[in-house]
Amino acid sequence: MSELGRIVMVEDDPNDVELTLTALAEYNLANEVVVTRDGAEALDYLFCRGAFAARTSDNPAVLLLDLKLPKVDGLQVLQEIKSDARLRMIPVVVLTSSHEERDMVASYRLGVNAYVVKPVDFHEFVNAIKELGIFWAVINEPPPGSIRKREAG
Amino acid sequence: MSKTVTSLLLRNGLAVVSVAVAVGVALLAQSYGLQKLDFPLLLMAIAVAVWYVGTGPGLLAVVLAGLGFDYFFSAPLYSLDVNPVDRPVFAVFVVFALVIASFSARRRRIERALRQARDDLAAEVVERTQQASLLDLTHDTIFVRDMRDVITYWNRGAEELYGWKAEDAIGQDAHRLLQTVFPMPIAEIRRELLGAGRWEGELDKRKADGTPVAVASRWSLRRDEQERPVAILETNNDITERKRAEREVRTLNDDLERRSAELQATNKELEAFAYSISHDLRAPLRHTVGYTELLQKNVSPLLDDRNRRYMTLILESAKRMGNLIDDLLAFSRIGRVETRKTMVGLEALVKEVRHELQPEIEGRNIAWTVGALPGVYGDRSMLRLALVNLISNAVKFTRTRPQAEIEIGCTKGHPGETVVFIRDNGVGFDMKYADKLFGVFQRLHQTEAFEGTGIGLATVQRIIHRHAGRVWAEGVVERGATFYFSVPQSWQESRS
Repeated sequence: MSELGRIVMVEDDPNDVELTLTALAEYNLANEVVVTRDGAEALDYLFCRGAFAARTSDNPAVLLLDLKLPKVDGLQVLQEIKSDARLRMIPVVVLTSSHEERDMVASYRLGVNAYVVKPVDFHEFVNAIKELGIFWAVINEPPPGSIRKREAG
Repeated sequence: MSKTVTSLLLRNGLAVVSVAVAVGVALLAQSYGLQKLDFPLLLMAIAVAVWYVGTGPGLLAVVLAGLGFDYFFSAPLYSLDVNPVDRPVFAVFVVFALVIASFSARRRRIERALRQARDDLAAEVVERTQQASLLDLTHDTIFVRDMRDVITYWNRGAEELYGWKAEDAIGQDAHRLLQTVFPMPIAEIRRELLGAGRWEGELDKRKADGTPVAVASRWSLRRDEQERPVAILETNNDITERKRAEREVRTLNDDLERRSAELQATNKELEAFAYSISHDLRAPLRHTVGYTELLQKNVSPLLDDRNRRYMTLILESAKRMGNLIDDLLAFSRIGRVETRKTMVGLEALVKEVRHELQPEIEGRNIAWTVGALPGVYGDRSMLRLALVNLISNAVKFTRTRPQAEIEIGCTKGHPGETVVFIRDNGVGFDMKYADKLFGVFQRLHQTEAFEGTGIGLATVQRIIHRHAGRVWAEGVVERGATFYFSVPQSWQESRS
């Protein structure tokens, strides 16, 4: 656990953002989390344009993507990512309230790497976020060109 | 043969007699001093012979009259010699006799031809009358009109259908009488009729009393020996009732299509509603639980028992609501998703379900009796969900029994269906609430006694209805309950 990949989260609900950040913080995974609040902002970040024009063009280690988003919805964001040669390598985890089979099927069809339904139970939710964070930001070896941060200590 | 001979003798006899009578009368007249009657009298005898008995005897009469004239009336008398002076007179006599004979013969020929024609005509009239009366026997509507559409024949079927008597219809313009409405220009129909010799199509006409009638009409063209079109035979079949039924079916179909479209729209709305429940209702619930737990963690040590209990209640209620939403979604999904029907072995399915319910069964004293179960035609995952609900109910409601008994088996139903039952010795229910068992959110027990959302049996019912089956229950309070459901044995019965 020497390096920590950057997590980009696309979530419009501030309550969910706070809960997720709290869950990640419990396991010291919250330092490298970028939060974008809708699909358009997420795409701006990924394509380094608009407010993110100045950032280095490295890919995040994982993208946590909600499906129901203002402006550009999650499935559309997913489609744009997977049809871009550079962004295609970013592991994308759909993190949603939707149990709907068609959302799941559509996501996998577009090439999503994982599909997680947010558990109602808080413990399960924290566990899910923790495991996601640890797996994608720590255990998983991200594709070359991803942002990594030396862990303090 | 002898008849012909007799007739020949009679005919020639008449020729002989008529000449003899003429000669006799002329001789008698001569004896009274009346000269020159011989010539016209003999001509008259020839004429009579030719007129009444024909050419052959006529010629015989000419010969006999010639001989008689020569013998009795031209000099030298009583000799067959002819005076050179009388020769021209004799020649004129013979020529005149021949001319009369030939005129007479021609007249006889014409008369015979006329008689022949009359006989033919009479025969044809008889034949046609017979045909017409045959056509009258059929109930089909048949009439004939000439090329100017004037009706010339009208059978009884036509009388029955249109209400016009033959005597009223014949002589009328067919199209005007029946107020025929053509589906295309009449000129086009005529062109086809003259070209192909026939035409058929559907026409709207009116009866004598004004009632509209739709007919399938077939026209056949009749031509004479010179191939000139002379008449049109039209047969009509009343298709008013058929057309009305067709229209009705069409209206029903349109109606059905419209309603199906409406239903589809409603379904879409429902789907959107379910989606929104799935996504939007769960989020605030998750937040309620999440932040309450965070709060509990942070402030629990500072709270007294009562406030700690409040917090626990908030959490329990929120979780219960989460379960309700999940069950409701599962319930609505059954109505929305396509069923994928295959042959499903119920015995294996029951085994699988019991295995799934292991956590609830663990530590319980349950005597299972599982009979032989057949295969049924249905959607495996749906039938599985139905069995999970029914069997877990049986497990749940026998909880108060020291020795729980659960029996799963198969019993006789209507032909073509399989009836499965799940019987337990649990708390049972009062039959007067039997109709409430399968309603959404209907519960017959208090939540404290038996947990549950009240959607399980509604889900079972929905699944079985989607399989064109029936579901019902029997029970006695504190004496157990039996739940039955039927499913079709093969795909034929499942197509409803």
